[in-house]
Amino acid sequence: MDPSLSLADKLASKTASSNSLDSSSKSSSGGGIENGVLRDTPFAYLDGEEDQDQKNDVTYVCPYRGPVFGALTITNYRLYFRSLPLRDQELPVVVDVPLGVIARVEKIGGATSRGENSYGIEIFCKDMRNLRFAHKQQNHSRRTVFEKLQANAFPLSYSGRLFAFAHAAARATGAAGATAAGGWDGWAVYEPLAELRRLGVPNDMWRATKLNESYGICDSYPAVWAVPKAASDDFLRRVAQFRSRCRLPVLSWMNPRTQATITRCSQPLVGVSGKRNADDETYLSYIMEANAQSDKLTIMDARPSANAIANKAKGGGYESEDAYKNVEINFLDIHNIHVMRESLRKVKEACYPTTDDSKWQTAIDSTLWLKHIRCVLAGAVRIVDKVETMSTSVVVHCSDGWDRTAQLTALSMLLLDPHYRTVRGFEVLIEKEWLSFGHKFQQRIGHGDNKHSDADRSPVFLQFIDSVWQVSQQFSNAFEFNEHFLITIVDHLYSCRFGTFLCNTEAERVAEDLKHKTTSLWTHINSSLDQYLNPLFPSFTHGAELVLRPIASVRAVRLWKGLYCRWNPGLCALQHGCQRTRELLSKQDQLFKHVNELRLKSNNRSNNMQTTTRLASPMH
Amino acid sequence: MATGSGNGSGGSSSGTASTNHHHNNHHLSIDMPEHRKRNTFTSYVAPLPGDLRLNEWSLPSDQRDVHLAKPRLLLGEQIVASAPAYMYSPIDPMESATSSSNLLHKEAIFGLLSVTNFKLAFVPLQMARQAAPNSSASAAPLSDLYQENTYLGRNEITLNNIDQIYTVAELGRAASALQAARMTSSRRKKLEPFKQQTINGRIAALHIVCKNFRLLKFAFQQQDSKLSGASDYGKLIASALNRFAYPTRHDLSFAYAHREAYYYSSLGVSGVSMYQTKNDWARELIRCGASEWQVVSSANVPLLQNPLQAGKYTVPPHFVIPKCCSIERYLDLSRAFCDSRAAFWVYSYGSSGAASLVRLAELQPAAQQDTKVENIMLELVRKCDERKQLKLLQLTDRLPSIQDVQRAYQKLRRLCTPETPEKFMLQDDKYLGLLEKTNWLFYVSLCLRFSSEAAATLRSSITCVLQESNGRDLCCVISSLTQLQLDPYFRSIDGFQSLIQKEWIALEHPFQRRLGHVYPLSAGANDQFHDSEQSPVFLLFLDCVWQLLQQFPDEFEFTQTYLTTLWDSCFMPIFDTFQFDNHAQRARAAKDGQLVLRPVWDWSEQFSDKDKMFFSNPLYQRQRASDMGSSGGTGGNPSGLRRSLAVGHKHAASSAVTSTPSRYTINPQLFATQSTVPQDRFLMPAHRIFDLAVWDQCYYRWLPVLDIRGGGQPQIDLFHRLLLSNIAKVQRCLDLQNFDELPDAYYEAIGEAKPKRSPIAATEEAVADQEPIEYVDGVERRRKSMPPPPSTPANGLHTAVNGQLQLSSLSSFFPFGNPIAGDAPHQLYDILSSSNELLLETSSILDKSSIV
Repeated sequence: MDPSLSLADKLASKTASSNSLDSSSKSSSGGGIENGVLRDTPFAYLDGEEDQDQKNDVTYVCPYRGPVFGALTITNYRLYFRSLPLRDQELPVVVDVPLGVIARVEKIGGATSRGENSYGIEIFCKDMRNLRFAHKQQNHSRRTVFEKLQANAFPLSYSGRLFAFAHAAARATGAAGATAAGGWDGWAVYEPLAELRRLGVPNDMWRATKLNESYGICDSYPAVWAVPKAASDDFLRRVAQFRSRCRLPVLSWMNPRTQATITRCSQPLVGVSGKRNADDETYLSYIMEANAQSDKLTIMDARPSANAIANKAKGGGYESEDAYKNVEINFLDIHNIHVMRESLRKVKEACYPTTDDSKWQTAIDSTLWLKHIRCVLAGAVRIVDKVETMSTSVVVHCSDGWDRTAQLTALSMLLLDPHYRTVRGFEVLIEKEWLSFGHKFQQRIGHGDNKHSDADRSPVFLQFIDSVWQVSQQFSNAFEFNEHFLITIVDHLYSCRFGTFLCNTEAERVAEDLKHKTTSLWTHINSSLDQYLNPLFPSFTHGAELVLRPIASVRAVRLWKGLYCRWNPGLCALQHGCQRTRELLSKQDQLFKHVNELRLKSNNRSNNMQTTTRLASPMH
Repeated sequence: MATGSGNGSGGSSSGTASTNHHHNNHHLSIDMPEHRKRNTFTSYVAPLPGDLRLNEWSLPSDQRDVHLAKPRLLLGEQIVASAPAYMYSPIDPMESATSSSNLLHKEAIFGLLSVTNFKLAFVPLQMARQAAPNSSASAAPLSDLYQENTYLGRNEITLNNIDQIYTVAELGRAASALQAARMTSSRRKKLEPFKQQTINGRIAALHIVCKNFRLLKFAFQQQDSKLSGASDYGKLIASALNRFAYPTRHDLSFAYAHREAYYYSSLGVSGVSMYQTKNDWARELIRCGASEWQVVSSANVPLLQNPLQAGKYTVPPHFVIPKCCSIERYLDLSRAFCDSRAAFWVYSYGSSGAASLVRLAELQPAAQQDTKVENIMLELVRKCDERKQLKLLQLTDRLPSIQDVQRAYQKLRRLCTPETPEKFMLQDDKYLGLLEKTNWLFYVSLCLRFSSEAAATLRSSITCVLQESNGRDLCCVISSLTQLQLDPYFRSIDGFQSLIQKEWIALEHPFQRRLGHVYPLSAGANDQFHDSEQSPVFLLFLDCVWQLLQQFPDEFEFTQTYLTTLWDSCFMPIFDTFQFDNHAQRARAAKDGQLVLRPVWDWSEQFSDKDKMFFSNPLYQRQRASDMGSSGGTGGNPSGLRRSLAVGHKHAASSAVTSTPSRYTINPQLFATQSTVPQDRFLMPAHRIFDLAVWDQCYYRWLPVLDIRGGGQPQIDLFHRLLLSNIAKVQRCLDLQNFDELPDAYYEAIGEAKPKRSPIAATEEAVADQEPIEYVDGVERRRKSMPPPPSTPANGLHTAVNGQLQLSSLSSFFPFGNPIAGDAPHQLYDILSSSNELLLETSSILDKSSIV
């Protein structure tokens, strides 16, 4: 291989990444105001995207600029509004919202409403903003807009299908289909067995099993598990019976060096009577024994202890230290999905549409959001301490083991294993700890469903992404990806354009055949990776720390303004970006390239003179 | 290390184990003659009532060497009290409070706590013993990893830095001293200066709150009274501190006892304008193109030299007033204003110095009914404006009073100095609410807002007059911030130091009263009087500058470490810069008190080159091609700024184009020329509380619980320094056309294994494999092992362990915070020095665009 070529390639990709942030993508552009779009086609239609309705006399009641008059387009994917500027130089106001983001559509005002802009539609979004459009009563334009919005934003309530299916179908029939996107299929990013192999499973103590291949033992668990070798299949079946929804402890992560593990599960079915199960007790001792470094096992119960006790009344509970030998149980004091939903609602109240600067800090304080984030971080750090410092294996559970447990395992794995801090690794982490282990995305987000006040909805995954962002703020060069990557994930968590976050469990996804009928978000992201890369993550230092221990204090945790406050153009957090970093990087690469050319020349010269000796020999 | 403990501390050598009893008295008798002149000082050094004896036999056997842990003394420094004590970290790491794993709990350090006339010093006894454990290969100089001060050790603070002392009373027989150190508020009592308090019971622990946000906690081992008599070490230290930490007159400060001469060294070379001469002001007028103003020197004004008259005026030695106004008329008008501060020019902006920034005091309370004088003065100022326009910005109504600032500071400091983990968590639970209640960020926000307003006024070519009661407090803040926003020169280190000299020193911010250097012992309610005068206005300013630095990280030559160090330096009495209220006071001290004047800007006095490197910002750009961020303007300004020489002095000043006229030449004809201040490099900072952050390095650095190991800003700075260092090394290789010493990043970038070097070097290499240290230019450098391409583990977990460049684990408070062990120092030093080469280079290769 010609070394100069490989260098050129690497340098080219680096230089390209230098400018990635300047071209901010549609989904995250602050304020929703865009420039430079051609007039005849107001936006680039996605594959499979079709017009549903268009109205030319709608007023968008912008909370910052006041009412602006323009045209509203509704497709099966998005709502798009563009104002008609009164003067030439004026930038048009653009609102571009995927319908999946919409939580609720309400009519405001009636036929008799008087006053300007008092008659129209109000849209409540899952991404922290509300939109208000005013119609003229006499045009009767509101009815069709309202109906089209309802039908396309909530297809599952109107016996339709989510856009992701139409999108992928159109892509498949379109020219060259999926291979056009760089030939990289995001559905292949996570191979359970390969990931286990990376962790060193199978080994003397752990084995991989396809016992649940048909999802017969646990319908919310993946097909492939890693379990202690000492546990037989029948034994596993019996253990599953003692765990809520059969979610028995299985491996999440293993330290290849110390064999200390993180396993996850749901609460044991202890109940008020304090039932015991010999199999479950033995099983936990297997997990403990699989780690020769420690003769203890730590159980991290994510809940506040009061909640854990209260769960006994419902047949659940927690492991008593009396029944389980050499087990220590800790409660991590993280509250349930309802508390988090309420907390985020308050964050929205404080951030949108306007903030009161003089009361800003108190307003954020009273949402308790940062306190909740602190708890999640603190829990993850405690797991890291056990696994890394004490080399003790940790079992993590909450009630069902698919919300708080996923937050804790995924976050602690991210802190322990640098692989998960790369783009691909992070994709694996989400696929594994969230998707395959059955975080109920469909229920928690409510894709295409109009039951906006459903008590099952909750920003649990968002809270995890926020926690990741907090860690990335504390360790700015530990991550291969940047803030934009995380925001893109959040945007497509709601958009329903990709199949990644659809359905509740792996079993459902297989039944829906999402792998073939929808596109993966990772296909989309990985085909334009440059804009998601963090210039501070240097290839040559391999990201500083191996194990990260973020500070879990409200003093160190911050509100993610770039996400929660991004719709307010006046509040857009200052982005000083990394321009200087990019300049220096490109300067360095320029010099490297130059040196490489010179060295090659002199090499060639010396090769010509005496072909036998070679100085610095390149890779073959 | 110039001030060795040689002759100054003769007494320390005499203190052997058995004669320790006489140790201090011995000291006094030696030094007595030296201090005879200032008998007031020596009166304090009378033998203390408490028993000084260290009864070592009552200590556990492993602690009996404690008398050996003596602090290093400076010339003129003497110990006034010593006692064995335990030092505690401000609060234990959170883990020990929340989890059951007490294995991580660090025990307190045992050692000797001494009070001298300069500092409070704790010297750990274990220092010698610590060398032993597991540090096999890496006898790495940990000292490289945190800031070292020539005058102070890590566990030492100047008495000047002490703000509050709390005593914790003994708990009862059962409690140990260790428990007492963690005692909560109930037994914590503030020790009031001068009040002869009766301390009931023994003092089990002392909590010392410093002006620089440090909290020191010491516990005293109780002794069996049968063996040692009634020696209460806590009380001994507390009363010594109470006597020495709150001097009632400035000449009781250590600065007067420290007679070491000061030689103007590098400062003469460096470009700091001290504003001590008429020329300094004249040059600034020229630089700004301000032609309607004149410099007045008090020494040349007969009225001010008349002893009968001079007392009526409190003007600084040099100041700038409108040309259209005679000095006699000016002085006449000035009598109506507080502190005689009528309209001082400080800065002009615009291509021809069109608009000026002027500082003005308010009318004396008695004269306030009649605003005629004020109007006359403003009219004179208006005449100097090119377009005869003027805007009056009354700061008193808009900004906090100095008392508000002090209250905010104290509340903020309470948030940063929790004395127990419980307190820490309690604060943490409602942290943002508490932070808001301090108002500190609100005041920062106001300062940024009104300085932006002033800057905008000047940009629109309108003269701006800042008015404040005495024109010497928040005027300094707003005026300096305005100039920082407008003028890139002030964002260089030299420029910033000149700015502080101009706005704060020359125009006489009352540092002595504001920083509490002196506790005037006036009759009656002296506390109140003192409290109303003390106010960290300067810290408020530094915080604002830090906010600017956060918003424009590549616009400033200095780092946050520089700003933090500046705040620390306020409490170093050895440097006169921040010690006085006005110039007359300073002159008197130098003349009558024989005080050695030593400017703080001569950083070499306090720090080695290594530490000074942390002052320069690796992101700083000498010039920028186009507008970026929110600074407007068109196109680049090729006449970039000269790099300052305050940091490192290897490179002599170059003859390149400078925006500051030389210090030594003044050409009167230049008065007619245009301003040399670039007009397109102003900053427009955001000033909402929403946009502000807490200055964690300065305020949190003493709280190890908040230290992000391997994270935070230092890691980013280090990364950029690494880039600069790579660039510098490759450039050197290119210059020499020799590619044997290419940086490792190069080989990684091209995916090539780093070559074995030439046969001659190969033998060395074999040696280096065993002992990977080599000496280059007398600097010990650790060469890292080969990159490990062959068996990269599939999970990527081992790569860094195998010796890849691993620059991890800096403290996020670096160079403050706790040092870490490991291989890093060597690499760090290497990167620092090679990146600094580039940062200080006048004709930076970063500006050459034609390399490829």
